[in-house]
Amino acid sequence: MTFLDILLQQSINGLMLGIMYSLVAVGFTLYFGVLDVINFAHGDFFMLGGFMALMLYAIAEAVGFAGNALVVVIYLFIGSMILTGVVGVVTERVCVKPVSKAPMLISLLVTLGLGIAIREAVRVLYPRGSDPKGFPTLMPQGSFNVGNIVIRYENLIIFGLGIAVIMAVNFLINRTKMGAAIRAVAQDGEAAMMMGVDLDRTIDITFLIGSAVAAVAGIMNGFYYGQTMFNIGAMMGVIGFSAAVIGGLGNIYGAIVGGILFGLLETFAAAALPYGAENKRVFAFLIVILFLVFRPTGILGEKIFERV
Amino acid sequence: MTEMFLTLEGVTAAYSNMEALRRVNVQVEKGKIACLLGSNGAGKSTLIKAILGLVKVVEGRITFDGEDITREKTHRVVRRGISIVPEGKRIFPKMTTIENLRMGAYIEQDEQAIEERLERVFELFPRLEERAHQIAGTMSGGEQSMLSIGRGLMSSPRLMIFDEPSLGLAPILVEQNFETIQRINEEGTTVFLVEQNASLTLEIASYGYVLQKGKVVAEGTAEQLTDSEVIQSAYLKS
Ligand SMILES: Nc1ncnc2c1ncn2[C@@H]1O[C@H](COP(=O)(O)OP(=O)(O)O)[C@@H](O)[C@H]1O
Ligand SMILES: [Mg+2]
Repeated sequence: MTFLDILLQQSINGLMLGIMYSLVAVGFTLYFGVLDVINFAHGDFFMLGGFMALMLYAIAEAVGFAGNALVVVIYLFIGSMILTGVVGVVTERVCVKPVSKAPMLISLLVTLGLGIAIREAVRVLYPRGSDPKGFPTLMPQGSFNVGNIVIRYENLIIFGLGIAVIMAVNFLINRTKMGAAIRAVAQDGEAAMMMGVDLDRTIDITFLIGSAVAAVAGIMNGFYYGQTMFNIGAMMGVIGFSAAVIGGLGNIYGAIVGGILFGLLETFAAAALPYGAENKRVFAFLIVILFLVFRPTGILGEKIFERV
Repeated sequence: MTEMFLTLEGVTAAYSNMEALRRVNVQVEKGKIACLLGSNGAGKSTLIKAILGLVKVVEGRITFDGEDITREKTHRVVRRGISIVPEGKRIFPKMTTIENLRMGAYIEQDEQAIEERLERVFELFPRLEERAHQIAGTMSGGEQSMLSIGRGLMSSPRLMIFDEPSLGLAPILVEQNFETIQRINEEGTTVFLVEQNASLTLEIASYGYVLQKGKVVAEGTAEQLTDSEVIQSAYLKS
């Protein structure tokens, strides 16, 4: 393999991961827009999405609903998005919205606590919840070559799905009336209410979208690595938050760009640096830190507290 | 027979523990322009927030078109046909002119009606049509003021409330705004105009109230107020 091949191969892997990170980062940005909170439990919704899919799969197996793999995959995604989305809305109402007007420190503590609660609930409630959980093989296996670059079918599907979800979110936020309400609330909540926007409903919908999209990322992650675990949300939370901040918190496109950038950084570090595989995240976070020191507003942000 | 469209009866409103309105009685007659005058911090914006359910109403009753709207949620009040041009314009800075205007028609489902209203707003403010796709936050103060009024018109309101539309605008633009407000009223919309600029306001209003430290200290027809002691001394001293 030439250097260029390696570069391309890593870019593809990095893009895959990056899309996943983008999906998580979008939630951070949306929540920050409508509620001015940073929801540190968000990474655990990513984890929850994966576990909801596992649970739904176990149920399907138990009742003998195996059928067509495509149908099962669709069922897992839709089902998990709905369940995770509902948990997202319920927790928003119970403990995120009530602290959104309090000092940042309070919402920070509450959302961190919420994340731990979700994590531990999964560990305790899911059968043998402390162990890594294997993901079923439902996607076509095998791969094809483009030149010297190997592309696995499974990854291609996951990638396509991620892109589709990102485009759907973008459409929802920027092209629909519901999205206009979300953007209006992000820019000026009181003015949005004066236009007849139901603030509480809009916040609910935002959390529904944010958690459902994180669930998609969680399932993608499960298929990609072939397994998941109750504690993967903490790291993903930090990555998603970093990606959102790199992009300029509050900016949807920024979150997408930030996520992809983080994914690329990580895979290049793993491939190119000595001991890279073990330290890829150290390297990626180092770049994030340096980046924020020199450009604290993020790539697309005009100011750090920019809105959607 | 005069018909009272909007009424506040003995309304007291407070921010956490601080009372900002005390037992206020105000009435807006259907089809007319009523005004509320008062200096900075008198409680004018608070009174509007009380109508819109954006501040805690401690006591009293607010009705619109005969129905009790006290403490009703903001979006519900708006859906009854009240629209507001808020203090400081409060346009959505990252949206374009068109997007802002469409937000004004958020409660309208009928796309045909929205298009017609857009045309009407553009006819009223040709400048907005030229700026249709400009990001609102990058427009001049005068243009943003037009946009805020245009946005308020987009819901085709029965009552339109203006909170200090003259604030921070050059005199020529203020006059234009007041002419527009008068025209909106002549075309059938009831207006409640909240202002510090007493002389211009009393020229177009038919009835008015004067607010001081959260209390109504004077009321009367525009002529009565223009001649009154409180206005002469506090607002029209020349
Ligand atoms: N959000 C708020 N929280 C606490 N006090 C407020 C708030 N808004 C206004 N006030 C106070 O209420 C009083 C009336 O304010 P306001 O209604 O804005 O006056 P006006 O619009 O006549 O200038 C003032 O003393 C002001 O400081
Ligand atoms: Mg005011």
